[in-house]
Amino acid sequence: MAKIEYELQEPKLLINKDKIVKEKVYVQNQLFKIFCLLSVLFLGFILLSIIVFIGKTGLLVFKDVSLKEFFFSTTWEPFEEKYGAASFILGTLELTGLTLLLAAPISITVAIFTAEIAPNWLKKILRPILDLLVGIPSIVYGYLGLTLLIPFIRKVTGTMMGDGLLAAAIVLTIMVLPTISRISDDAITAVSSELREASYALGATRMQTIFRVVIPHASSGVLTAIILGMARAIGETMAVVMVIGNTPQLATDLLTPTAVLTSNIVNQIIDVEFDSTWNYALYMMAFLLLILSNVLIFIIRKLRTKGV
Amino acid sequence: MKMFKRITIAALSTVAAVGFTFGSISSTKAASSNKIVVAGSTALLPVTQQAAKEFKRSNPKVSISVSGSSSVAGPQSVLRGSATIGAVDWDATKSVPGFSAFKGLKAHKIAVIPFATIVNKSNPVKNLTSSQLQGIFSGKITNWKQVGGKNATIVVVNRKFGSGTRVNYQMKALNGKSFMTKGNYKEVGKSGEMVTSVSTNPNAIGYVDLAYVKGNIKAVNFNGVAATTSNVINGKYKVWSYGYLVTKGNPTGANAKYIKYVQSSKFQNGSLKKLKFIPVSKMK
Repeated sequence: MAKIEYELQEPKLLINKDKIVKEKVYVQNQLFKIFCLLSVLFLGFILLSIIVFIGKTGLLVFKDVSLKEFFFSTTWEPFEEKYGAASFILGTLELTGLTLLLAAPISITVAIFTAEIAPNWLKKILRPILDLLVGIPSIVYGYLGLTLLIPFIRKVTGTMMGDGLLAAAIVLTIMVLPTISRISDDAITAVSSELREASYALGATRMQTIFRVVIPHASSGVLTAIILGMARAIGETMAVVMVIGNTPQLATDLLTPTAVLTSNIVNQIIDVEFDSTWNYALYMMAFLLLILSNVLIFIIRKLRTKGV
Repeated sequence: MKMFKRITIAALSTVAAVGFTFGSISSTKAASSNKIVVAGSTALLPVTQQAAKEFKRSNPKVSISVSGSSSVAGPQSVLRGSATIGAVDWDATKSVPGFSAFKGLKAHKIAVIPFATIVNKSNPVKNLTSSQLQGIFSGKITNWKQVGGKNATIVVVNRKFGSGTRVNYQMKALNGKSFMTKGNYKEVGKSGEMVTSVSTNPNAIGYVDLAYVKGNIKAVNFNGVAATTSNVINGKYKVWSYGYLVTKGNPTGANAKYIKYVQSSKFQNGSLKKLKFIPVSKMK
């Protein structure tokens, strides 16, 4: 009898315990879910309020300055009430374009080399080196540009100053090169080896395989890398401000000192009064930068969903 | 479970820490005796930094931080409350060309700052007159040949708007003439960047306070007078200004003590002089 009682009690207890544990786990999961959700909402709220704040402050500039003047005039003389940001906007686009023109071919070649051609031991050295390059603070690049690159450009080209789009683009190229090449490297490595083997089986050379099979297959990843590099180039401030010259004029050639949105904002934002048109104009320029980089992120998203 | 508990505890403690910090800040703000934040002029930065170093030695409990960006940032950050003392190269309670007077501030004279026109050491030009400088900085004189130098284009390096050195140089060396904004012209943010730009370009011209003149740059005579502290004192060299520390109303506690220390004859005749500034008492 005693034995039966004992046997009857045991499963009862087990079921209870099980139920309690299950309930506990359920509550924990729910709590964790809420916690995660709150964190995400918090982040979203902060991001949204930043965008709204910059946009709202920036748009105030159009109370005193006409749309036409802000976007199409190149006369930036704030102490004379002239707020034409066209030269900065154009300068930013030119600088980004020039940077990509220099950076994209070099960094994609680097990526092809590390992913396809280099032997394994070299890959193990190259990849960490590229990762380290990403970590160097941009101000260091700027200082090197100011003290080494600009005198060098002056010597080679024979111009008087050396500051300008070329110097800034070279500095930015060195900065975005590791970003672009590491991400394209990953994209190229991710191409499945069956494709390469099939290509070789058809009698293609390594060169043909890389350019006709591997690169087209990895193209969306490579494009993402380039756009990420571009986003970094657009937003880069500290390095650019030291080598661009900070002269509010349209660049007639690559060696004319000029200014871009970021360099102008960082140079002046500390010194302007809080509630002034000048301040609002700088915020508007920041808002433009924000829109530009958001457009780039949007393009990346589109590419991602289409691609591999 | 443990993971979740840890996260909760971490979150709670963060909230508590943040809460306590802000709470304590707002409660000590009224007293705010042990905190000095100096911001503003880079021309005065050598002085404020050196003074902070020495002041800390005798007052180890006081927390003091010194930074420099540009003169106008001094009174502005004092008014905004992000600094307790602002360093500025002009009397911020009065208006100067380009800047109106800042209200509610009190200015304390702490130093005499001599400014010098600088060129690269390899440049043979030794003397420039006021009208030659006006021509150079407004973009009318574009070649060094026109002022007795080599045949080379002049590269003008200017400080950005908001710099006190720029305000004073424009008032005293250029007699208020405005700067060029286009062409072989560049703007830099701080005194140190000005020195780097001129020392790396053999055809550049700029200006900076005397404390920064060393290395690969040299000071040019102004109207035949050398830029030296003794010429400022005897009244021959005109390009100088008083440096000020500004506070919101009358300074209290450590801030008052710090300003007093900078004004003390021990500091004025000691470290300040060594830095190529001039004690306030020397000027009549």
